[in-house]
Amino acid sequence: MFALLRRQKVRNALLQIFFVGTIAAIVIGGWLNAQQTLERQRIVSGFDFLWRSTGWEGNFSLLAATPNDPYWWFFVVGLVNTLFLGVIGLLLATFVGLTVGLARISSNEVLRFLGRIYVDFFRNIPLILQVFFWYAFVTHMPAPRAAYDLGSLKISSRGIYAPVPNVQWEFLLASVVCVVAAIVVPIWLGGTRYLSRPPEQRRGLRVAACLGLLALAVLVFAAGGKAGEPLFSVPELQGLNLRGGMRISPEFSALAIAMALYGGAYIGEIVRGGFKAVGRGQIEAAESLGLTPWRIFSHVRLPLALRAMLPILANQYIWLIKATTLGITIGFTDFFMVVAITINQSGNTLEAIGILMAGFLLVNLSLGALFNHVNKAIALKGNQLRS
Amino acid sequence: MMARQPAAGDRLSNLRKRFFPTPLQAALSLASLALLVTLAWKIVDWAILSAVFTAEGGPAACKAAEGACWSVIANRWRIIMFGLYPYDEQWRSALACLVVVAMIVLSCLPAFWTGKRIAAVWIVGVALFYGLMKGGVFGLRYIGEEAWGGLALTLFIFVSTCFIGFPLSIVLALLRRSELPWISRVTGLIIDSVRSLPLISILFAFAVVVPFMLPGWLQGDKLYRVIVGSALFFAAYQAEIVRGGMQGVAHGQEEAAKALGIGYWHRVSRILLPQAMRNALPATINQFVISFKETSLVIVVGFFEILASGNAAYGTGEWTFAYVEVYAFIALIYFVFVYSLSRYGAFLERRMAVGAR
Amino acid sequence: MAMERTMKSFKSGAMALALTLTPALAMTQFAPVAEAAGGKTLQTVKARGSLLCTGHDGSYLGFAEVDNKGNWKGLDIDLCRAVATAVLGDPSKVTIIPISWAQRWPALQSGEVDLVIKASGATLSRDTDLGLQFSLSYYLGTTKIMAHKELNLKSLKDADGGTICIPAGTTQQQQIASYTAKLGIKLEPVLIEKTEELEQAYFSGRCDLYTQWGPVLAIARAAKGNVEQHDILSDVLALEPEVIVMRQGDDNWVDIANWTLSALWFAEQEGITSQNVDSIRANPPSPEIGKFLGVTPGIGAGLGLSDDWAYKVIKNVGNYAEIFDRNLGAGSPYKMDREMTALWNAGGVLYPYLID
Repeated sequence: MFALLRRQKVRNALLQIFFVGTIAAIVIGGWLNAQQTLERQRIVSGFDFLWRSTGWEGNFSLLAATPNDPYWWFFVVGLVNTLFLGVIGLLLATFVGLTVGLARISSNEVLRFLGRIYVDFFRNIPLILQVFFWYAFVTHMPAPRAAYDLGSLKISSRGIYAPVPNVQWEFLLASVVCVVAAIVVPIWLGGTRYLSRPPEQRRGLRVAACLGLLALAVLVFAAGGKAGEPLFSVPELQGLNLRGGMRISPEFSALAIAMALYGGAYIGEIVRGGFKAVGRGQIEAAESLGLTPWRIFSHVRLPLALRAMLPILANQYIWLIKATTLGITIGFTDFFMVVAITINQSGNTLEAIGILMAGFLLVNLSLGALFNHVNKAIALKGNQLRS
Repeated sequence: MMARQPAAGDRLSNLRKRFFPTPLQAALSLASLALLVTLAWKIVDWAILSAVFTAEGGPAACKAAEGACWSVIANRWRIIMFGLYPYDEQWRSALACLVVVAMIVLSCLPAFWTGKRIAAVWIVGVALFYGLMKGGVFGLRYIGEEAWGGLALTLFIFVSTCFIGFPLSIVLALLRRSELPWISRVTGLIIDSVRSLPLISILFAFAVVVPFMLPGWLQGDKLYRVIVGSALFFAAYQAEIVRGGMQGVAHGQEEAAKALGIGYWHRVSRILLPQAMRNALPATINQFVISFKETSLVIVVGFFEILASGNAAYGTGEWTFAYVEVYAFIALIYFVFVYSLSRYGAFLERRMAVGAR
Repeated sequence: MAMERTMKSFKSGAMALALTLTPALAMTQFAPVAEAAGGKTLQTVKARGSLLCTGHDGSYLGFAEVDNKGNWKGLDIDLCRAVATAVLGDPSKVTIIPISWAQRWPALQSGEVDLVIKASGATLSRDTDLGLQFSLSYYLGTTKIMAHKELNLKSLKDADGGTICIPAGTTQQQQIASYTAKLGIKLEPVLIEKTEELEQAYFSGRCDLYTQWGPVLAIARAAKGNVEQHDILSDVLALEPEVIVMRQGDDNWVDIANWTLSALWFAEQEGITSQNVDSIRANPPSPEIGKFLGVTPGIGAGLGLSDDWAYKVIKNVGNYAEIFDRNLGAGSPYKMDREMTALWNAGGVLYPYLID
């Protein structure tokens, strides 16, 4: 027996079995104990509640939800809300971050100073406080009857109202595709080898392609209009509220603003770090080739900096997606809020928490995998970054 | 170069070169400057010039004034700072906060950067804090955790999160580095899962779900369960930082140590960890900064930490209107702590960059 | 080298063992949750020497607030004190545990609190699905709706398309959904968990309407100081009886909660207050009052309490009228009327059980 234990392979196997076993024992033991506790107190458990109707409704949802809908649908709605807020928040934060980061590496001293104050201020106050602040800020906008009127954009304590296209969705989609093509095609034309004309002489072609596609987009858009209705639905005051157009709720905008500003401060620092990581020699080489400052920036510094930023940026993005859970503090119906209300209304605590964890694991692990993939795909061969 | 007083004209041209080299840059500078000055003026006007400071006027004086109403702070600051802690014993809470501050300052001094010294500082500090807050010894009145609150509770959660989370992170990092595939895989799975969950959901699970899963005698107070949850979250993040630091230690060193017949513990504690911790120091400080800010999330599981105490401070008949001032005050407290910690981190980074050159 | 590897794996294995052995062993024992087991709550509380109470995590004006010195006060808090006095003979032997709204039922189920007193309504699903048990109702209020005066609303029907602030995770959330469905109107809900944040959202104009349990609405309006700018609409969404909530399966504990409430009402009915209770006890006007105040034995034994428990409750906490007055009524900033929450002989619906 002892001799067997001394054999390294056997011992390693035993150790591993023991380690995995204890962790499994903790999980299974906890689960069994929870079952016992629930049974003893005659608390209903199991996943049957998912098919019961909720009897309450949330205040924001991309997907329609009524009090008659079942719990599982509310979980889907909550998850979609979380993802939507996450994506918008990430985009805004990236935009703010790029601006701040570029300000911080600019040659203008006042701008650099401003960037630094921004980062120091927004990074050093907890996000939850900033969310409270922005929520108070957006809800103290004037009432709908006295909304700030910026053309057809209206800002009130009920939210921001923007005009939206009032055309059939197939046509809307087609026209969006045209607009995207108007950007992509000229770029493709600039680099493709299928044309015999040298790249320097393609400017006219590119401009023509861009304008042509934009015109097509406008045509398609106009063709999709509904009979007797304007092409844009514009918000107007009706009764107690503004009607028409698209409404961005104050809860959503407060969270999105807070995420954008707080995340922007972090991303700004990542951007700055990324640009600092681009070797001085690369820029000097580009300068000596006679490239213009804009070309140096867009063809040398940006691509290299982006590769240096990406791994850190991925972590920051996952962090921001998780920060959407703060929605519960100001009443945005995110995934966590749905789970918390479910616990209070149906009492299926363990199941609801399990669903919460599974949902976030799914989202964030796939996001992590995606970033890993992108990271590998764009990685440069050889070492071109100063470590 | 000779030190010489620059002539006035020199200075002016210098200024021009720095701020207004081209018309575009000049416009940019002016716009930024204008933005800065307007913001600064608005804040100063609201916070100082048209503000009400005295406690005597009460809510009525505030409602008349244009600017900030600091009398809510003057009246209710003890709730914000100490929460529900018994009024006559609040000096203990204040002293405990000072102990924590002293402890943090001491651990920032390089003289304490050896494993034993830092451990001694923290063990003594936490014990002192705990004794002061909880009482029951040295003739101090016993005060249960449910009455703790305000800044003291925030600091306690932060400190104990680090106190438990830090050693745990080293254990996790070592386990993940283990050569046994199942141990490293399972640890990796745990770390990655915890990292992809939001802290709020972990706190919520530890506050609400864990009591169902543990036998009664193991449950402990909700405060400690939540601290364990937050420490686990901290450790999952910190473990990756430590692991990154370990990867920076040249492989040859470990092999050389093995060749010399140095045992595992010795190798880890004398060769691997000191270097790894040094590599990981800037990221570690950053992690401390983040987890300090994240203590504010415990409000969601019903603790009277500084933010919840702030809510209670304005949540009484006469002060319900003065929430902006309360939030500003709390933001200032957070800012002082977080800013000094992050400045210290930046200082360390610079210092180490010099050392590495 | 092989030896070296063995040592290493052994070491990390030992660490794993140290890390996991303790909880693993603990798990295998499955010790029952003492607090949660039926019929044991009273013993647990007595052994602990302190009652764990509430479900408030901040201000709920009039029902739970924090004063300048960091002490809890309010109607719900005083009821906690009354139960603590009944069980332990001392109003200070209560521990107010702050818990958030989403946690109150799990906290009760897992034994973290002995009872939840947080203006909680009695509902079917709480009784059956959540495994809870209710006391008599100690406060009756209707769920109502407050609106900004400038909107000039007569009733909720006029408010179609308006925005309404609703406390999240409460019974109001379901009441408003079914009431608007009945009226055939559509409101946009704003759900917020913390009362402070919710009221700010309404008063700042984020919402046209604010639905709450009636008393809380009136208090919020009074606290805001501009009563004339807000209408409380005539619509009554539901009558909500507020109760003390306990775990199922401990009849004795439910009895104690019920008789504590009954004692507060009995004292009010008989005119016994914290001021005169000593003189009445010295000279009880009737045998039943004598029994009530513990002059003659019999009131405590059946409940597992001492015979002077009711006397101590009245002496230390006061009768129901006193509790109401200092927290919500004339003695408070809110100046509320008793309305339905008066005794039966004053036009209300509260009544004590008989003491025989």
